Order: sequence, then structure tokens, then C-alpha cells
Amino acid sequence: MTKALPQKYPFLPTWCPGCGNFGIMNAIKMAIVKSGHPKEKFVIVYDIGCSGNMSDFLDLYGFHGLHGRALPPAAGIKLANHDLKVIVVIGDGGCYGEGATHFINLMRGNHDITVLVHDNHRYSLTTGQMSPTTDQGTATKSTPEGSIEVPMKPLALAVSNHATFIAREFSGAIPQLSARIGEAINHEGFALIDMLQVCSVYNPTQDLKWYREHTIGLDENHDSSDKAAAWTQAMREDKLPVGLFYKEERPAYHALVSELQDSTLINHQKNVVELSGLLSEYY
Amino acid sequence: MRIPNTLNWKVGGPAGEGIMTTGLIFSKAVSRHGLKVFDYTEYPSLITGGHNTYQVYASQHFATSQYQTLDILIALDKPTLDLHSDELTENTLVIFDVEDDKINIEEYHLNAKVFNLPMVRLAQESGGSRVMANNVALGASMFVFGLDLQILFGVIESVFGRKGPEVVSKNQNAAQFGYNFMLQHLGQPMMTSPKVEGKNYLTMTGNEAISMGAIAGGLQLYTAYPMTPSSSVLHVLAAKAQDADIVVKHAEDEIGVINMALGASYAGVRAMVGSSGGGFCYMSEALGLSGVAEIPLVVLESMRPGPALGMPTWTAQGDLQFIITASQDEFPRFVLAPSDAQEAFELTRLAMDLSEKYQTLVILVADKLLSESRFTMELDNTQFNNVRHGIDQDPQLAETGFYPRYQDTENGIGQRTIPGQPNGYYLANSYEHDKYGFASEEGWVRVEQVDKRAKKFEVMKSEILPQFYEDNGGEMTLISFGSTKGAVVAARELLEQQHNIKVNVLNLSWIWPFPEQQVTEVLNNGIPFAVVEGNSTGQLAKIIRMETGIKVEKKLLKYDGRPFYPHEIVQFVRNTLKK
Repeated sequence: MTKALPQKYPFLPTWCPGCGNFGIMNAIKMAIVKSGHPKEKFVIVYDIGCSGNMSDFLDLYGFHGLHGRALPPAAGIKLANHDLKVIVVIGDGGCYGEGATHFINLMRGNHDITVLVHDNHRYSLTTGQMSPTTDQGTATKSTPEGSIEVPMKPLALAVSNHATFIAREFSGAIPQLSARIGEAINHEGFALIDMLQVCSVYNPTQDLKWYREHTIGLDENHDSSDKAAAWTQAMREDKLPVGLFYKEERPAYHALVSELQDSTLINHQKNVVELSGLLSEYY
Repeated sequence: MRIPNTLNWKVGGPAGEGIMTTGLIFSKAVSRHGLKVFDYTEYPSLITGGHNTYQVYASQHFATSQYQTLDILIALDKPTLDLHSDELTENTLVIFDVEDDKINIEEYHLNAKVFNLPMVRLAQESGGSRVMANNVALGASMFVFGLDLQILFGVIESVFGRKGPEVVSKNQNAAQFGYNFMLQHLGQPMMTSPKVEGKNYLTMTGNEAISMGAIAGGLQLYTAYPMTPSSSVLHVLAAKAQDADIVVKHAEDEIGVINMALGASYAGVRAMVGSSGGGFCYMSEALGLSGVAEIPLVVLESMRPGPALGMPTWTAQGDLQFIITASQDEFPRFVLAPSDAQEAFELTRLAMDLSEKYQTLVILVADKLLSESRFTMELDNTQFNNVRHGIDQDPQLAETGFYPRYQDTENGIGQRTIPGQPNGYYLANSYEHDKYGFASEEGWVRVEQVDKRAKKFEVMKSEILPQFYEDNGGEMTLISFGSTKGAVVAARELLEQQHNIKVNVLNLSWIWPFPEQQVTEVLNNGIPFAVVEGNSTGQLAKIIRMETGIKVEKKLLKYDGRPFYPHEIVQFVRNTLKK
């Protein structure tokens, strides 16, 4: 047995030809470079799935967590060191399905993390079962007679549940997506980008042509500070609008934690701990 | 039979009427007389309407357990008279309130002295409201035991001081009225109580001690989701967060709790989480993430009866086998089971250090008895020094452009970097991975990493502390773990004093890595032995057999949700030895 590690780090992507993840990864890389922040200030938390396999393809600090659970570590990293820029790479299954509790609650807290959801309407790494965004009636491996559930409207959920940066983009439009990721990184608070993505293997119906027909840019008159307008767009049945649905400035979670007003938690050294003040009530 | 130089006091009444505060005040007053205390509470999983009790046992020598036979029972309602008759003797004084509770004491046929104390009327005559009736009972208790009313006044001031001087003085007046009433009717105290001059002990519940121990050990982030009996750690740490300069986060569920803490630990802070058995089950997948990605983490599991929701406010030791193996596959972990508040403080502090030193999981095992009972403890000093472990201050990238975080080393423990450090890039990975953290399915990489983690376990064995062992030249050895120690030690004393039977005691507060050497030595000394544990199958006995090959035949097992009482262990020993 040869004991040799791979020749090249990070690894070359293992995604299928035509996968939307290639474009998304390039958009992320461009956004990070353009942000001007030093590379070591970024941490990407990856969920499990085809999208999460990006962990092996980037040269940054990374945390490849458990299925559906990428958001809590991201919030924890930010609480530990709010000088870091924390990005979550996650799929529609992990974010809107298995980890939906975390999605719903961390957005309410306005934790300052950038959540990039690779939304291809399927569980693809597990070979093509339905996801929370699969259209009703779709036959998949786990729903051979057609799915019974009505698909989730994640952006409407985010609008109603106090996320402070809500966007949808198409993964094929790399410059536009990259610019939006850059805005999300700079936004201080919970930023969601639902990234529409082709999975040519397990969801061949929703291909490039389908997306061309079904997506539409938000009207240039769309007011991204208007929650009602964002709701209307997020609830649309005729088309999938892309663009910035909603944005508001509200203090991020860490900014409201009284112990973090002066510096990051990692800088609160505990080399010497004096307990006497805490013990008086126990006499 | 009353144990010399001790007192055993209980108050019972409906939930929501301040039973817990009343008991705490009595306990503090007794402690301020220089006595050691053990407080035991019982309550149902209800906010109002159930039956609550608070019991204080105090002694100048040691107080490690609740005892069945009471000196004073304060009945704030009728159910207290119904439910505790088996705790009374002819020497017990039962205090009740005929006027308020319409009690016909003759109906109860109590084998005890009974005393009608008009608590509500005296509270009102003293200038207070009816809720201050509990203070009348406290003042009366002080008189009966011959304790110092001024010390009780001091405790009332400590407890109610924040509510202002008027509240303090009204509560004190009510206590004075209770004291005076007993003085008029009894003339002199009925029981003598010891006092020790110049002693002023700390008293803490197990959960308070765990909280303080974590802070002493450099805790920076505590995340939790409420679950009895672990919740008071969340409450204590949240209340102290500003003064202790820590962050406390009540997260969305236990899965969020542990994954959030793992993220924070990865980013360089000392983190801890807490739950009971059910919440710990939710966490179990992420225990493996701590293991494979070698992320330091301390997890508190305070047990209650199960399976599933079980009995929330009662005690049990039935999760032990699950805790030592919970999660996927194999990875090193410490499992520590403190026996009392003193050890809870010390082992939690140690856990914070060990988790970082070995870059792995430390599980603290408690139970309702430890978590919510109050113990006397002592700290020699209040300043604690912490050393950070394993963070490379000057990381260098390998040729690959990544930091070899999971490089194999002699003892399996590598250096790590934290995000923000230049030249420290690596991947913390839930998948099996190579030395940079990149996913690998190569057989040799897998074997290398499994072996690397396993090597840590061998070094972890060097940390095992000598376990509590009393060789009294006994006729048999009692083996227990965690909080059961208190009742076993109390039984050891009763056996010697009342039955002239000597027993040896071995209590394990270090479960994993298992203290194989010491246990083997003790059990091979030719003296009969038995386990005493709070589950129905003898889980500690099974672990002893697994780790030492020694089969424990005799078992005293209890799983009714109640802790062991010393007299039950006494009876077991006498039956076993046929004495």
C-alpha cells in the first residue's frame, strides 16, 4: 500500500460536470478577494452534501460540520471572535429541512453570519431524494408517486422571521452572485442568499432553460427596505424573482451581548480567575 | 434513634408557597453556626399545587446525606402530615397551624410530639402578611434547637436585602414572634444543637459548584437548553455572566447548543454545555464531532429517571453505560462523576483543563441528588490559574499551503491554530481526514488517525486520580459512584456506631478512563464486596466486570427516583452479613 497524500491541496472539485457549485465557488472566492479583508479572517462552515464538499476545495479556515447543523457552529464562532467573517455553505436540505430549527432561530437573533444556500431542490449527495423546496408532485427516489408536500418559501420565512439581509440569485450569473455575496459579507447581521442551482443528474428538469424561463429580476423599483414588498415578491407563484428582497440595519447578536462590548470573547483571558466576588452569596 | 450532635429538620407544604426559600434560609442559618449541612429537596414537575419539601441535616462532623428520621417537621399544609408519618419518632416535634389549616391533629395518629403554632396569626400580629408565616416557623425552629436568633436575622437580611429594609425587618419580626411564642410555651429548647465557633462554611448545590468550578477553570461560553435537573447551571451562569465576564447562550435546542459550543471552541474559547439524559441524547451525534475533529468540549449530563422523559424532578444513575459510549464509533473521552459539591467544583475545573489539554470530550456526570442538593464545601483560596494548551503561537504552513493540525505525534496530541491566525489554515472535519483535516477515505489515513486519537487515551490514563477509598478493616466493601457516596459514607458511620459493623467504602468519581488498577487491587483483597447504585441492572458492576474481569455478585440497587437513605444501606449490609 502506498502511503502518499494527494499531490495538490486544496483538492480539485469532485462535482459533476455542469454542477452549479462550480459557479458558486468561484463567486465566493471572488467576493472574498474583493472584500479586502485578510484571508485568515474568514471561516467557512460547511454543511453536509455536495455543497459542503467545497470544504476540500478552498484554502481558508474551515469547519465541516454535521448534516443540517452548519448554522450553530457559525454562530458559535462569531460569538467567540466577532472580528471574524463567518460564511455558511449549506444546501436546501440542510438549511431548510434538517437544520430548519437553527435557521429559524438564528435569523431572529440576527447572528452576523452569511448563509449561502445551494438550492437545487434535491438531496443530491444522497442520490436524489426530495428536499424542502421540491415542487409538489415531483417524483424522486423517496417519492416515486410524486411528493405530497407543498414546497417551502424560504425567503418568505426569512422576511416574516426578521432576517436582516434576504436575497436570491442564480448560480449561473457569477458576477451578480459574487457581488451579492460581497454585500452579504459586509452586512452586519443574518444574511441569507438562496442560490438557485442546477443539478443536472438528479434534477434534470430544472435545467438552465427552466431557470431562464422561471426566474425574473426584481423590478428596479423594488424597495428593499419595504418588508411588505419583500413579502409579496417572496410569495410569488408565477416566477422566482432574483435580487435583493430585503435589507435592514439592526444590531447583530454579538453587538447586544454586554460582555462583548469591549472586545472579542477570545480576548477575555481567563489565565487568572478571582472568584471571591461571586462566592459571597453562598455563605 | 437521634444521632448525637446533629439536627434533622424538614419543612413541607404546597408548591408556590416559598418552601425552597424557607429551607434555604434555615440551612444558611445552621451553616452560620459552624455546622456542616446537607439539604435535600423533593418537588413534583409542577409550578403550583404539588407537594414540596426541603430537608436540612446538619452536623459538626460531616453531613453527606439526608436521613429518614426527623427532629422537626414543619407542616405548612395537611398533606405534609399525611405523607411523612414514617419519618417521625416519639422524639420528633411536629409543628402545624390549627387555625390556618383547620387541622384535627388527633386524626393523624402521629407517633410524635405535636405542637400547634399559629403561624399565620403570629405573622399578621408581627406586622407582616400571611406569606411571612414561614418566618414564624423559622424563628420557632431556632428556639427549639437552641440556635441563635440573631444569626437567622443575618440570613434574612442577606436573602431579602435586595427587597429593601422594610421587607427585611418584617420578616425578622415574624421570626421573632415565632421564637417568643416557643419561649412562652416551652420555656427552654427541646433539643440541643452543636455550634462550632469561628467556622463559616460555603454551602452550594452541586449545580452551583459545577458553575463556579467551570468559571474557575476558565469557562468563556456556556450554551444550554433548559432541562431539569441541569437547568440551574444555566440559571446560575446567566445570572453571574456579567460579573464572571462570560457569555451564556440559551440556544434553540440541544443540537444547536452543542454545535454552537463546538464552533466557539474551535475558534479558541473554553466552552461547556449542559443537559439531562434526554437533551444529552440529542447531543450524542455531536459528541463524535468533538472526537473526530479533536475539539475540546465539556458536557454536563445531570441524570434523572428515564427512559425518555422519565421523572423530571427525581434522581437516578441509569445513564452511566450510555454516557461512556454515546456517539458513533470510538474516540477518547473522560467521564467524571463528582460525588458532592466539593468534588463537583474541583472536577469541573479540572474538566475545563483536561478537555483543552487532550483536545477531546469531557463528560461530567451528575444526577438530581447532586445537582440540587446543598452541601457544605471549603475553598482554600479563591484565585485560580489556568494554562492554555496546544495553541500554536507561530504557525507555519506546510508545502501544501495548510497547517498540519492532525499530524501524528508521539502521544497523539497535536498543536492547533485558531481562525484569525495567519498561516494556520486547516479544516476541522466531521469526516475522517488527513493531517490537514481534508476528507480522506484511504485506509492507511483512516488507521493513522484512529491510532493517533487512541494514543491520546493511553496518555489520558495518567490523569486518573486516586479514588475515594476508606479501608476501615471492614467485613465488606461497598462500591458506588458519584452522589451515592454520601449515603454510603453515612451508612458506614451508622453501622459502626449502632451495630458495631465495619465496612470499607470505594466510591468512583472517575469513570473513564476506568481506574482499573485501583479497583482491581481493592476488589482482590479478599473481602466481600457489593455495589450500591441508582439503577435497576447494576451498570457500575457491569463496567467493573468489563474493565477488570471481576464479577460483582452482590448489588443494592434503587430506581424509584429517590436517593439511597443510609438506613437502607445499613439494612442491606446487615442482611448480607447476616448480622
